[in-house]
Amino acid sequence: MKMPLFTKATAWLPALILAIVIPPMAGGYLVSMLILICIWTIMCFSLNIIYGYTGQLSLGQAAFFGIGAYAFGLLTVKVNMGFWPAFFASVFIAGLSGFLIGIPALKLRGPYFILVTLGFSVIVGVVLVAWVDLTGGANGLAGMPRPSPVPLPWGGRLTFDSLLPMYYFTLFFLVLIMVFSHRLINSLIGRRFIAISYNEDLTESLGIDTMSTKILSFTISAIMAGIAGVLYASYNVVISPEMAYFARGMDVVAYLVVGGAGTMAGPILGTLVLMAVPELLQVIPSLKTMINGIILMLFLIFLPSGISGGFKALKGRIIRSRTSPYAGS
Amino acid sequence: MVTAVEFCQYILNGISQGCIYILLASGLTLVFGILNVPNFAQGHLYMIGAYFGFYMVMSFGMNYWMALILATMALAFLGLLLYKFIFYPMRDVPEVNLFVAAMALLMIIEGAALFFFGTETKWFVVPYSRHVVTFGPFALPLQRIIVILGTLVVMIALQIFIKKTMIGATLEATAQQREGAMLCGIKVTSVSALAFMIGTGLAGIAGVLIGPAVLLEPTMGMGPLLVAFSAVVFGGMGSIAGAVLGAFILGLVESLASGYISATYSLTFVFGIMILTLLFRPKGLLGREVWRP
Amino acid sequence: MPVLEVIGLTKRFGGLAAVEDLAFNIQTGELLSIIGPNGAGKTTLFNLLTGFYSPTSGKIIFNGIDITGYKPHRIIRSGMSRTFQLTSVFQRSTVLDNVIIGQMSHARVGLIGSIFGIPAAGREKKKVIERAKEILSFVGLEDKRDKIAAGLTEEARKRLSIASALATEPKLLLLDEPAAGINLEETSGIIDLIDRIRKTGVTICLIEHKMKMVMSISDRIIVLSYGKNIAEGTPEEVANNQEVIKAYLGVRDAAQS
Repeated sequence: MKMPLFTKATAWLPALILAIVIPPMAGGYLVSMLILICIWTIMCFSLNIIYGYTGQLSLGQAAFFGIGAYAFGLLTVKVNMGFWPAFFASVFIAGLSGFLIGIPALKLRGPYFILVTLGFSVIVGVVLVAWVDLTGGANGLAGMPRPSPVPLPWGGRLTFDSLLPMYYFTLFFLVLIMVFSHRLINSLIGRRFIAISYNEDLTESLGIDTMSTKILSFTISAIMAGIAGVLYASYNVVISPEMAYFARGMDVVAYLVVGGAGTMAGPILGTLVLMAVPELLQVIPSLKTMINGIILMLFLIFLPSGISGGFKALKGRIIRSRTSPYAGS
Repeated sequence: MVTAVEFCQYILNGISQGCIYILLASGLTLVFGILNVPNFAQGHLYMIGAYFGFYMVMSFGMNYWMALILATMALAFLGLLLYKFIFYPMRDVPEVNLFVAAMALLMIIEGAALFFFGTETKWFVVPYSRHVVTFGPFALPLQRIIVILGTLVVMIALQIFIKKTMIGATLEATAQQREGAMLCGIKVTSVSALAFMIGTGLAGIAGVLIGPAVLLEPTMGMGPLLVAFSAVVFGGMGSIAGAVLGAFILGLVESLASGYISATYSLTFVFGIMILTLLFRPKGLLGREVWRP
Repeated sequence: MPVLEVIGLTKRFGGLAAVEDLAFNIQTGELLSIIGPNGAGKTTLFNLLTGFYSPTSGKIIFNGIDITGYKPHRIIRSGMSRTFQLTSVFQRSTVLDNVIIGQMSHARVGLIGSIFGIPAAGREKKKVIERAKEILSFVGLEDKRDKIAAGLTEEARKRLSIASALATEPKLLLLDEPAAGINLEETSGIIDLIDRIRKTGVTICLIEHKMKMVMSISDRIIVLSYGKNIAEGTPEEVANNQEVIKAYLGVRDAAQS
């Protein structure tokens, strides 16, 4: 089960260079859009772990996003915690939620699991709106801090109040999560995820504790979604329940499936296409979910493996044999 | 302080709520049993039914009962279209793609509803919707009584259809053993289409029945969907009787929780029951163990 | 000590008893076959033994330990493995990868170690690959190592599923219809493989419909009908048992014979 990093690692280098070099030349509008694209790509990577690689479709990633964001908001605004302690605490809380909801949810297969995650997402949305004393209700919270200034080796400090440093901050986490995902999937643990996605009963019958493995996968994905939530809260300074709405979780599924689930390039391609193109075409925001749904449906019928998957097929990857990634070593 | 009158009042409300969930849960179970598609959009189809009835009555001045019948037919027809253009073409794909398709359908309806209907709530007014029936110390809006009676009629009709007609028997047989039904020469495609139509039709009926009793808003379908689904889990997956029983019980539970604990969190409470069921009795009330290869 | 003891094992689905009050032992090193008409509960029995179903009542004791109610992966780790009636392999993976996955329950792997690529993880990987190659040679698939499983013949797929099960290092191997859907020549190949597995000290329990095969290789046979154990004994004893003949041919035909 070779998991090629798109083509080779070197294909990513030009992309990374572009990502670093272009934004300073772009206007503020473009940079803020890039920040959001980075954040939602992280969400796609989160879904990719539990769905793309472990085969369990979670519609609850938006809930972990919201939990991460609101935990960060409450810790910084109401408890006055510093940026980094709040960051780690919030990500931990998001991960813990994933672990706790995963235990009952992952006892179910297929559509039942999906519906439990959907339900969880709806409930989180309800709580965020209804528990006004804690969350500020529909008005949300404001005043989340940007990352603390970093002293530079050549004197002076790097502050994150402006867009560009914030962009590099989010880009840093995106790259970190990408590298982590790649190493995870190619590790023996990752092989377990993939085995489960291929045939869960067979995997269990080979002595692998599929339940624990699924819970691990789900928790990791919740942690990633939590990171995305904290980044969003820090960038946007204001958060409201709307961002944890279950439709956001479905948007992420659309991005991932269109981009190509179970690939490394899928999350990036899908988010870019489905977020950037409507922006450029000035699509009315209220129609976005519907359009995402329509595009997703079209892909499901005509190209279910997504852009990235379709690419691989084009390259003649319908092969009868290939070298095991292990055999050479 | 708990009074008997209050308690019974909540029970009455709960029964009418339970009826809505029974209609939705039956539709869910039927479609899932035959097509293996979890129709996540069931709640939104119910919402469309309600809005359809609303526009027919409020904008076109149609008689309520006519609107009810028309809405049911419209939703059933919509179900046929959905089957023909989405789920039939996808019948051979890996399971999970069907699930994503059902989700995509939900997104499309959600987006369209928000766009066309707007976010303000609407009042579905029917000549007698203000009429409240009182018997003794209890009061129940006439509309809710209509819901209860309507559900009874529909469920009885459905039972007769399944048990007494050829088509109905075919439907039941296919629901229980799809491969076996195919071997017997049953046209699974037609049966599947019929099942889908019944499923969406039930959602439509539910929507128009409850419409005058509640506020209409585009998000009104999510809550009932979750309760209907919780009912399927709680009642026992793989059992239609379980879904009905579960829906009824959860309707009562929701009403009681709404009255005694909090209206806002009643859905959370019901969802919590589903989670507890999963943790401690995954089979549910009447469920059979899932058949494994 | 018997490697497996089954006591009063019953499994009901709703009102129907798929398996009722089963009791038998499997002795270490023997080859026990389970036969019976379709629907007799044979695969249900395997599902119960390996934890995929939990019994309505009864006990399962494996190597002296009560494993009733254990989850499947735990049972496999304690030394009981199985194959599936519907030959199950990872279709999209190579033959070698299939067997590598089979060893995962034994590989010592830590999350942090795998991700950061510490040397111990690399050494473990090497061990795992070598062992997988050994097993593939043992079952006769070494020339198909790099083929995608979906492209294999049914017989090769059966060998592969047996190879994966062997990778878990079982003491008791449950084979569910290992010769179904393959021709005579392939069947004798499978018989040969089963024999070689026995020689390595593995106890085998077999579900099969091919009577000649069952009669020729089994030490003992158990016959199930409608979920009940209707006969138990050596192949000769079972072949001459009236109850068995009735069960297979139906009462009317038995009366006529």
